This record gives sequence, C-alpha cells and structure tokens, in this order.
Amino acid sequence: MARRGTPISIGDYWQLRAPERRLLLWALLIALLGYLMLLGAGPKDGLDVQFVALVPFLIYLGTFVSAHLLLVLARFRGDQLLLPLTALLSAIGLIAQARTGLFAAAALDPAKLIPLPLGVALMLIFAIAGRGGRYRLATRVTWLWAGVSLLLLALVLATGQRYRGAVYGFGFITPTELLKLTLVLFTAAFVDQHLKRLSRWRSLLPPLRSLWPLLLVWMLVLAMLLVQRDLGLVLILGVMLLAVLAAGTRHPGYLAYGLVLGGAAGAALISLFTHGQRRVEVWLNPFSDPTGAGWQVLQGLSGMYAGGLWGEGFSQARPRYTPIAESDLIYAVWAEELGFAGSVLLVMLFALLLIRLLTLAARARTPFGLMAATGVAAVLSVQTLLNIGGVTKALPLTGITLPLISHGGSSLLTVFASLGLVLAISDGEPVKSRRKSMVKPDKGEATIEKRERSARQAKTGKAA
Amino acid sequence: MELLNALFRSPPWEAVRLGLHLAFGLALLFWLWQALQLRFVVPLKHLARPRAWLLPVVGLLGLSLVAILGYQATWQLGGTARPQFIAFMQSHDRRQFNPAHWIQRGRILDQRGQVLAESRNRDGAAERVYPYGSVFAHAIGYADPRFGLSGVEAMANPALNGSTLDSLGDWGELGRQLLTQSKRPRGQDLVTTLDAGLQQAAVEQIASAKGIGRGAVVLMRPADGAVLVMASVPGFDPNQLQPTLFRGADPATPLLNRATQGQYPPGSVFKVILAAQALENGFRGRLDNPANGYTTSSRYRPIRDHEYYEAQRSGRAWAGHGVLDLTTALAKSSNVFFAQLGVLGGHRALTKTGERFLFNRSIAFVGGPSGTVHLQAAQLEPIPERDRYGLAQAAIGQGRVTTTPAYMALVAAAIANDGVAMRPRLLRDTKPEVLGRFMSADTARRLRVMLRRAVTDGTGRGIETAGLEIAGKTGTAENPQGASHSWFVGFAPASAPRLAFAVLVEHGGYGSTVAAPIARDLLLKAAEQGF
Repeated sequence: MARRGTPISIGDYWQLRAPERRLLLWALLIALLGYLMLLGAGPKDGLDVQFVALVPFLIYLGTFVSAHLLLVLARFRGDQLLLPLTALLSAIGLIAQARTGLFAAAALDPAKLIPLPLGVALMLIFAIAGRGGRYRLATRVTWLWAGVSLLLLALVLATGQRYRGAVYGFGFITPTELLKLTLVLFTAAFVDQHLKRLSRWRSLLPPLRSLWPLLLVWMLVLAMLLVQRDLGLVLILGVMLLAVLAAGTRHPGYLAYGLVLGGAAGAALISLFTHGQRRVEVWLNPFSDPTGAGWQVLQGLSGMYAGGLWGEGFSQARPRYTPIAESDLIYAVWAEELGFAGSVLLVMLFALLLIRLLTLAARARTPFGLMAATGVAAVLSVQTLLNIGGVTKALPLTGITLPLISHGGSSLLTVFASLGLVLAISDGEPVKSRRKSMVKPDKGEATIEKRERSARQAKTGKAA
Repeated sequence: MELLNALFRSPPWEAVRLGLHLAFGLALLFWLWQALQLRFVVPLKHLARPRAWLLPVVGLLGLSLVAILGYQATWQLGGTARPQFIAFMQSHDRRQFNPAHWIQRGRILDQRGQVLAESRNRDGAAERVYPYGSVFAHAIGYADPRFGLSGVEAMANPALNGSTLDSLGDWGELGRQLLTQSKRPRGQDLVTTLDAGLQQAAVEQIASAKGIGRGAVVLMRPADGAVLVMASVPGFDPNQLQPTLFRGADPATPLLNRATQGQYPPGSVFKVILAAQALENGFRGRLDNPANGYTTSSRYRPIRDHEYYEAQRSGRAWAGHGVLDLTTALAKSSNVFFAQLGVLGGHRALTKTGERFLFNRSIAFVGGPSGTVHLQAAQLEPIPERDRYGLAQAAIGQGRVTTTPAYMALVAAAIANDGVAMRPRLLRDTKPEVLGRFMSADTARRLRVMLRRAVTDGTGRGIETAGLEIAGKTGTAENPQGASHSWFVGFAPASAPRLAFAVLVEHGGYGSTVAAPIARDLLLKAAEQGF
C-alpha cells in the first residue's frame, strides 16, 4: 500500500489523479467502440452516416475530458473511481438513447444534447464547491431544503398534468426528481443538528419531542406525493429516510419501526389505491390482460427473450417495439441488443457504482457527510433495483428511471448533482489541516520519492 | 466521414463488427477488473475507517442484484418454459428475429403414427400444417401467431415448443441453442390417443347423416380413458384460419366443439342415469304404464310414450306398455315409466345422483403443465321442490337437463368400467387417472345387461350385428329448434367392453335409425382395425 506524500502543485495533482485518468480514458475508448458499432448499422440500411451523428459523442467526450482536467485544476483529492464510472454508465446511456432514436439527425436539438454536459457541470460545481469539508455549509440552511422540497411539490400539484396515471410537471418535466437531493440534504442536516437527542431512546419509545419537525415535513411530502400517485418515489424516499436515520443515530429502532410502519402503510396503500392495485395485479399475472395493462412489461420481456444470451448486437435489434423504451424500459433495450451477457455487465457496473457510494458513505469523516452520502446511495440503490426489477418483472413496474441511463433531464441532473455531493464528501477533512501539513519544511524530498513509488505501484497494480 | 462510411459498407465490416462486439465486452470486463484494482492504488487514506454496517449492506445489495439477474434469466434464457409467454410473443411480437416465431414445433401424431400436425418451413418462417384439415379441427386445435392456441396444440404447448426439460440431453440442447443463438429451436413430437381413420370415418358419417349434417362423435376406451375419436361437425380448416371464424357470425358455429361443449337435451339417453339411480337406491319393482300417459297435475300435458303418438298418427289404438320392470322399460324406452320413476325417487335423489355424476361441472382431460382440454358435464338446473312435473320431465331427459356428447360417452365408459369413470386422455404418454366412481360395480353390471337387452330386444335392435355385441341406449330428444336430436350412447362388446361411445346427430330424428347405425359402422371399422 502506497503512503502518499502531500501533493502541492498542479503537477502533483496531475500525478495523483493518474488512476482516474487511466480508467477514464479506457471508459472513453469503450464508449467510442460502442458508438462506432452503433453508427455502423446505418449504411447497411442505405443511410450514410452524417457528421451530425457524431455530435452527441463529441459533446460527451469533451464533457468528461474537461471534467477530469477541472478536478485536477481544482486540486481535488476525492474519490477517483466515481468519475470514470459515471462516464462509462453515461456512455451506455448515450448509446442506448441513440438506439431509441433520440439523436436522429433530423431531430438533433439542443434540448436533448444539453442535459449531459449540464449535469456533469453541476456535479463538478457540487464537488469543487463542497470540497475540503465545505459541504457542511449545507447544514446551516436546513429549513431551506425543507422549504424548497415542499414548494416544489406544491407547485407540481398546482400546475401539474396527469399522464399515465401520475402527475407530471409542466411540459412533462418532473421537478419532483429534485426531491431526491433536497430531502437528502434536509434529513441529513436535521438529524445532524439533533443527533444526540435523536439517538437517545426511552426504552422502546423514539424521542418524539425532537423528532416531530422531521416527521411533520415528511408527512406533508409523502401526503403530497401520494396525491400525485407517485408510489415509486414514495418508496425511494421512504427507504432513504430510514437509511439516513439508522446510519446517523446508529439506533436500530428506527429501522424496526420504519419497516413495520412502512409495511403496514404499503399494504394499506395498495388496498386503497386502484392505481397501485392494478400494477400489483399486472405484476403477478401480466397475461390476464396481455394487450392492455400487461403490454409494456411483456413487450420488454419479449425483446429480452429475442435478444437471448448474446443479443443481436448494436443496432441490430428492434427496440422501437418496446414501449417507453427511452426512459423506463431502457434496460430492456440494452438487454435486447447485447443479450443477457450485456445486462450482466451493466448490472456489474451499477453494483460497482452503488458499492462505491456506500463505501464512501461508510468512510465519511463527519456525521453529516455520512448521512448525506448514505442518503444518496440509498436513493440510487432503490431506484436502480426498482427499475431493473420492474423491467424484468421481478418487482411491479413503478415508472421509475434508471439512473444515468434513462432519458430524462431532471432525473439526470439530480443524479449528477447527488454524485457531486458524494464527491465533495469524499474529499474529506477541511483545507486548514491540509495547509498545516504543507507548511512542514523538510518533507518535500521524501514526498517526491514516495510519490514516485506510488506511481510505480499504480503501474504494477494495473499490470496485475 | 467518407472513410467511415466506406468502412461500414465494405464486406468485411460484418466480421469486424462481430470482433468489435467481442472487444467491447472484453474491454468492459477489463475495465471492471481495473476498477477493482484501484482500491489498492487509491486507498482513500484521508477518510475514516469504514463503518461496520458496510459489509452487510453491500452483501444485501449484491444479493438483490443477483436475484434480479437470476429472475431475468428465467425469462430471457428460459422463456420457452413459459407457454403463455411464448404464445404472447407468437401473437404480439413484431420482431422478426424473435426465436419464438421460428420454433419448429414438434409433430402431433395419432396412435398409429399418422401425422395430424407438423411444422414446415415456408419462406424462412415456420408454418403449421394440418394434413387432415377440418377433421381434427377441435381435437388437435390450432397454433397460430394471430389467433393463439387451442386443443392439443394448447395442452401440450411446452413439449411441442421443446421446452420441457426432462433429461440432461434436453438441458444440453437448450444450452447449445442459447450459446449459438440458434434461431431454429426444435420441439418434441407428440403421440395422441386419437385414431385418424376412425375420426375421419366419424366425421364423414355425421356430415352425410340425415338432418343438417351436424353433430358429434366421441369414442373412448373405458379402462384408461383414452379418447380415440373426438369429432365435431362442422369443423373449420386450421390451415386457413380467418378472422370471420372468430367473430361467430356463422350460424353453423363451426368453432364450437360440439363433442365437449355442445349442450343438447339428452332425451332418452338420460334414462341410463335414472336407471343407475334407481338401481343404486334399491328399486326392484314394477310400474304400471297407462297408454294415456302420466302427469303430476291435470294442468300439465301428460307425458306419453312415442308409440302412443305413432298409433294416433296412423289412427290405430294402442293399449300401452302395461306393467313393466326396469329392464324392459329401459329396452322399450318408456317415457311413462321413467317419468314416474323420477318422481318416485324425488328431488333429493336426483340432486344426489347429480353430485355423484359430476353434473354442472367442467371435467378436465388428463393435461399437461400448460392447461388442458375440458368437457362439460350434464347441466341440470335446480328444480324447485314444488315442481314435480319438472322432475318428471328431467327424468326422461327433457326440460331442465342438457348434456354434451363427450359426457354421455364418459357415463357409458363408467358403466363399462364397473362404475368407475376414468379421466379422459388425449395424449398417449400420460398416466390414466381415476375421475370418480359414478355407481357401484353391481349397478354397473346390471346396467350392462339392461343396455345389451336394449339392443337385442329394444329400441336398438335395428343395429344388432353378430360379433360386435353392442350395448347401448337410443335417444330422440325434442328441442324447440326443429326436428329431434338423434342420440346413441353405449359400449361394446357388452360382456367385456373395450370401447364406449356417444353419437349425436343434430335434428337427425330417431336415435334408432340415425345415430345408432353410425355407432355400429364405427364399431365395425374399429373391429376391423383390431380394437
């Protein structure tokens, strides 16, 4: 294991982030490979590949290369795996979305190209602004996050429109996606402020006197979400709340109470809401109404069955027969084109991302960092499980996007911002202590030597 | 760009593409490996030690993902084991490359190896061919991408699709098809209990019979329930299914399987069940049968014997059957006798008989994993306690009672099999199952003698043939739609029955002159073939 000296100059950081660079370059190469094969199907159908077809890929390339450079320039010390992992998953998202005809040459419109660079920019802003412990400034405005969350929900309720049984925001963007970040921040900040009192239970009774403001906000949020019939989001946020409380207070009572209450509420909801009931029925037996309610999931499964073990290959299958392929069912498109083997690879990438997020959460230096990162990890884990499980019929279909892969601006931006937050947390201790160690004089020589050794080890590590 | 286009158009691109796919997959794997290595290179020393909950949480997450992938595999790789899923794709999936469209379904054979259905390749797609056309339309059914599955095609769908994994070899074949992405899955051949020659003869006989050429024949083995003939006329051509067929506009209702689903008034053949009830309840007496008939109340028209009407038509006088015992009454098919017998037995006895004989039920054939074919038992609407006339009518198979030909064959088979009804079977390699005991062995033995008498000395004497030893009951069922339905139900040879049958000819007239000869001809043909 390499003991690293303290990096000083930009050059040191260039060296420090070499592993990230290497992984990122590999990821970009893989993306290029995939994109090339995607384009390769065009001429077969008698269509020449136009230069515009390359534009989305070039934007993608530029975005992630500059992201890495910016992290180096900002002397960022945080995690080196998240950026390349994000790049790879985004590449898969780009390819899958291109397959669903999102970037058809005629429809090359900025609104469809902008979410990716915008999201990465947001991630960098969060990461760089919050590095060195400054992310904890978020705890100073606890009630701002609650206010924003409630306001968002109220706005959507007031102006939203109903589509496919749920309420969507103006113009089909879903502002409620943002809740996944603002509520994480609110909950983590609130628990951080009342950590001691919240950890002190009177035998089996939770400390309700300190808990009630949190519960009140959450009641309001969940109530408004239920009015919008967004059961999937309720589930994601509910699990997140429990995870944050349990990880922060280390009291198992929250998990126990939460699971019991959540289970009871879930059962009650399903028996009360025809919307949810229908989904459960369709989930249990899609063949009872194959051309109606069961159509989506069955078409997705048909595509996957057609793909078999190896898939038809990039651009060889016909994912357009899958309904809502570009967002909710994009996993089915991937599984159709690259087969079961391809979906195993994709799931492994997701597993790596989620495990990394959990690791960073579990190793955070401050309770707030711990809770915020746990919240983000919980949201993304539940979202991934619900989406993949829904498409494969292992779980009921909940109309939830697949993080980083599905098309959907607000979803993408929220995910990137959340990842930025975790990156900031992974940067660790405040800058002050860093300065202290830098001032120490005769460490320079040794530092360089150690740095070289670490670089060598990095190389051998790679070779192995 | 031009370079790129030239590359994509060049002949080796296809090969290059395959190579690139391989490279893509390997690169991803390599990347994952590298990312795992990164743990050691960048140890995140500036962060705290991981909390204790990390490992269990990561384990839980990993397990969930593996579980989901495993479940996904049961659809993506093992989809053929889900017949409903295959049927859905065959009718609703527009992807040309979907293997579900290319499955070479196994052949369906009759018990002698005649092909009843097979898949042929035409223009690259698998096409289902039924060499016998409409003859087996109901028994074998159809497998059509637009209209779905029916009959044996539906019942044995997994095996026909090649998705029953019974042996290691089956698993190996599935693995090979998955690995090579085979687009030509092959199913298993299936042997039925049906006999093509007898079925064809039955269909021809019904179609050319007196009446309107509609009806049904069921022929089965009493000992094991094997169905040799299940004919319903008119049929339809499963080689050329038309949407109009399914709209049900045709008054001849060719889609209806008359054998198993057609509910007809049974008329006199129902007296067999009444006789069984009387024997079970210990009736050994005689009843007087006045020529003028029998009624429960002067308000209702008396129930009379058909000889009364015949005599009336020809202007003769008829003295009536007089005092009869059960055997003679059954042989002569006396309405007056059975109407009295039914009222004598009472409502509760008939209800009990109905329960024992599985009235108002849907009886499943011995089936496969994907469901089965059903036959409807006799339907008996509940008769109010006050309504004794309804009871008298039901006792002679009119009024509130209807039945299907297949059910009557099942009853005949039960009598032939010492009172035990075997569950009907269509697939040769299924195990015989007992459906239930309809009557005691003693009752069955007595009934066999009585039904033999009905052919030697009774209404069926016109078909008595040396060597066949037919036993059976004729039926002439009045119905509001027109001429009476012609029935003949029985078994042969009476002393050691090998075959049980039911023949129904819609609006054929007398059972003794229309349905009975068809049964005799079939039994002759069966005897020729050694059944």
